[in-house]
Amino acid sequence: MKPDLKQLGAAAVAVLALGSPAFAAAECGANTGEPATGEPIFVGGIHGNAAPGDWTSSTDSAAAYFACVNANGGIHGRPIEYLVENDQWNPEAAAQAAARLVNDTDTVAMVGNGSFIEMAVNAGTYEAADIMVMASACAISECFETPNLVSTNQGPLPSNLGAAQYAQEELGAEHIACMGLNIPNNGIWSCNAVAEFMESRGGQSTPVLINPGAPDVNSALLEALASGADTILINQPAGIALAILSAAEEQDLRDMFNWIAPTPLYDLSVPDQLGSYWHGHVFVNAELAPLNLEGPDALNWVAVLDEFGNEDDPRDTFGQAGYLSARFFVKAMLEMDPADVGDRAKVSEAIRGISGYTSDLMCGPYYVGDADFHMPNHAGYMVQIVEGGFEIVRDCYEYDSPYFERHIAIETELGLR
Amino acid sequence: MRGLFHVTPSGWSGLGFAAFVILLVPELAGSYWLSVFTSAACFTLAIAGVAFLYARLGLVSLTQVGLMGVGGWVMLRLNHGTDLPFEVNLVLSALATMVFGWILALPALRLRGLYLALVTLMAAGGLEIVFATFQFPNGGEGFWGVTIGSSEPFRRPALAQSPEAYLRYVAICALLGFLLIELHRRLQPGRAWAMIRRSEAAAMAAGVNVTLYKTWAFGICGLLGGAAGALLAGSLGLLDDGTFRASESVMVFALAVVGGARYWQGAVIAAALYKILPPLLSTWGVDADLAFVIFGAGLLHAVITAPDGIAGQLRGAIVARFARKERADA
Amino acid sequence: MANLSKYSNWLAWAVAMTLIIGVLSWDAPRPQMVGLFIASGLAVGSLYALGGIGIVVLYRATGVLNFAGGAAGAAGAMTAWQLVDWGIWPPISWLGCLAVSLAITLFYGRLIAPRLAWRDTVVKAVATLGFALIVLGLVSFIWADDPRSIELPTDAIGVRILGMRVTATRLLVFFASVAIVIGIWAFLTYTRIGLQMRSLANDRDLSALLGIPILKVETIAWTIAGVLAGFTGLMFADLIRLEPVVITFMVIPSIAAAICGRLENLTAVLIGGLSMGVIENLLTLSAPLRGVRPIAPFVIAAVVLLWLQRGQRLSFGGRD
Repeated sequence: MKPDLKQLGAAAVAVLALGSPAFAAAECGANTGEPATGEPIFVGGIHGNAAPGDWTSSTDSAAAYFACVNANGGIHGRPIEYLVENDQWNPEAAAQAAARLVNDTDTVAMVGNGSFIEMAVNAGTYEAADIMVMASACAISECFETPNLVSTNQGPLPSNLGAAQYAQEELGAEHIACMGLNIPNNGIWSCNAVAEFMESRGGQSTPVLINPGAPDVNSALLEALASGADTILINQPAGIALAILSAAEEQDLRDMFNWIAPTPLYDLSVPDQLGSYWHGHVFVNAELAPLNLEGPDALNWVAVLDEFGNEDDPRDTFGQAGYLSARFFVKAMLEMDPADVGDRAKVSEAIRGISGYTSDLMCGPYYVGDADFHMPNHAGYMVQIVEGGFEIVRDCYEYDSPYFERHIAIETELGLR
Repeated sequence: MRGLFHVTPSGWSGLGFAAFVILLVPELAGSYWLSVFTSAACFTLAIAGVAFLYARLGLVSLTQVGLMGVGGWVMLRLNHGTDLPFEVNLVLSALATMVFGWILALPALRLRGLYLALVTLMAAGGLEIVFATFQFPNGGEGFWGVTIGSSEPFRRPALAQSPEAYLRYVAICALLGFLLIELHRRLQPGRAWAMIRRSEAAAMAAGVNVTLYKTWAFGICGLLGGAAGALLAGSLGLLDDGTFRASESVMVFALAVVGGARYWQGAVIAAALYKILPPLLSTWGVDADLAFVIFGAGLLHAVITAPDGIAGQLRGAIVARFARKERADA
Repeated sequence: MANLSKYSNWLAWAVAMTLIIGVLSWDAPRPQMVGLFIASGLAVGSLYALGGIGIVVLYRATGVLNFAGGAAGAAGAMTAWQLVDWGIWPPISWLGCLAVSLAITLFYGRLIAPRLAWRDTVVKAVATLGFALIVLGLVSFIWADDPRSIELPTDAIGVRILGMRVTATRLLVFFASVAIVIGIWAFLTYTRIGLQMRSLANDRDLSALLGIPILKVETIAWTIAGVLAGFTGLMFADLIRLEPVVITFMVIPSIAAAICGRLENLTAVLIGGLSMGVIENLLTLSAPLRGVRPIAPFVIAAVVLLWLQRGQRLSFGGRD
């Protein structure tokens, strides 16, 4: 693990903010207190950690949870052996990671995956091997529109819709400039959905696309400025989002627009890095429970990380998602017949059967279902960047967009509505 | 004419190595290493192209990975847009890349040395942006063929559906690439290149059409790069712009020099350093960032200590050993 | 005749720029937007130019085309961020940036570059990429990925130019690049070391025979390059973003700027870099080309290089 001073600081802040209940004992799986000793069950996970980003927090949290489960009776007495590979943001390495975890190892499922490219490369491999992937940090359309992938986080599309909906309902937005990455399965996909949503509400949205290879964001900001929009949606990773906001600060554009963003800006180091100019003026969608809420799962997640994780495992949204994927997976496994938990096909079937799992970390119920698309999480919170952190401005709300019609149909079928 | 088919000791060792890769390796490797070896084999072919250009003509191409991207793009486009068999697509992508390489190279042929290298670097930088902007075809409509959502399945060659068979297939293609280079070296173009390498003016005076033979060499380099990219596309079923950055093209050239541009072993060593060493380090649990440090340090060390590349060093060691033995026998 | 061809190049540049700006701004929604894009482009262009100047100064004096300048600047900028984060007085952190960048560049220049002196120019150039990877790997290892930013006091001061608020930092970068070009020109023209540098650039072997202290001259060139890399890195981190990978690979468009000056003419590097920034920004006005606008530096550099090669002359004859 890397010695990262910033993350240590952020973790300390998170722990302090949560106060003394954070030291409650971790509860996991069967919660027997007895270590599991049987034959191990293999579970895989792939994260991306190299330039340009470190997406390890979901697998870190999942690993901590599995360690806790193993110390608490495992899966019917059998420990989980969690094998994690790094795709290094490289499509070949991603394919190789899946080859190793899915084809060379008898894994029963993949849990906690966090990557920007792995899912696009491996969606076919997962389908061919009939293995289910309960991902946690997903940013591309393949995570939500292929049969074998289901992700706990929302990804860019719902989170952007949530932010757009808030701006339309509360800030009076009529024309949104959606500043996305010029990548079909990420920025274009999600900005198109925002346009569709705004049209359904009688407004409009203009896509302003930034080439990921372009260092300079100023020209894109000027393009957004020229589009005549009243609201700017910064649909970008945190690094580029900071660059856009600092360019806007330079032009003193703060009061000319509403500024909204999806979850990537919900990062504890963002308010400090942005500076006081922006405090109170940027609204961010949080796709899982904001980190200062103290529900049972929120506290248990921190307790699990404290007891079974590494000190520098990030306490962030993707970490929450990793914890949740692992917890739901273990819950489904414990509900299975003990004889079947080592059988990939039966485990896949059990995962597809997941329906109506709930947690205080998530607004809606979690389910998988047998479909070619999965997006259980499409409700969230809206927070505002303030000095030293974030303030909730809108509690759990479900996003309302034509995109979710087919998901709602499945939820109705499963009896979740 | 007999000289044309003469097999040198180095040639025998190359054929032996190819036989080893084709016959034995697919039987021994698991799915992970099969995938690693397949991409290494693709890059061997591409590196053979750059190394050939550098060793035979002293020309530097810093755009080889970009050309692989062009080959891969054409392959994916044809695969999703037509029903042609894989082999036809492979040949078409290689030829299209060759033509593309010519278009890039023709105006630049008057440049030499560093300046030619820099023009090719600019081409690589441009291709990087184009790939990042338009992405690779994955079964969508229109010229760019990009669809949002899950991509269409890729048709692998009928002869090589399994990963084992595909590694054999790529290895055979790479072997054919090496034979193509060797054949050229032994025929008229080889002699013309040798003269051009010595002195362009002398070659011109001797009636060699310098432009034609330089273009020809660039064409072969592009052909091999395009084929390599098409084979890589076949291995993964899709491509990502992250593979084809300009810095990767520079890296491939650097590795070709480090491996030893004059020998076939050099291309194999370079591809192994590029594509097998990182997974090996990751298997040993080395942090991905530190793996970069090790990789960079190894590259510098090899550039400093091995003038003929690692292959040259190894050959030197073997020759010296034999010489010692002979002396001892005498 | 030589003079005529020299002016013809500048004339061609002026005509081309006028045409490009004219065509691109034809469809501008508001004429004021053109001014905005030009002002914004000049800032990016200054960064390209700064990077290019560092490359050219070093290349002329040592024959090394340095791909590692961006990585050294990235290491410096990250150091500056870290020092500020620890609560150290900002001016010290800026000096820290320059010092780290200088140390990294000098390390390469004194310990590694001499061992490669006998190799091809191109091989010397690509070897620096290996070094860039080492530096980048270490930087990414020490500072895990996290949103970061750097602020300079000059960010708060600004004036309106062409309808755009331009911060003092942007002005600083612009005037610094101009001042550096003039300063280095004066240094090369009027000092003894400058003379020796020019002679090294002209003919290394002959200069060595003449007894020019190559080691000393080269060390000075590496020092200039290191400080320039640090300054560029810090400015880039403030104006564009503080991400090591982005700063490291900024070196490729910087090489494009260097090519505009044929790796020797600093004025042309400056003008070339600025033109690239302006054209890249103005491309935003063109709907079909908007998406690929970062391609501008590469296309411009290639066109310039080919333009300078027009006619049959092998103008880069001799050793290179």
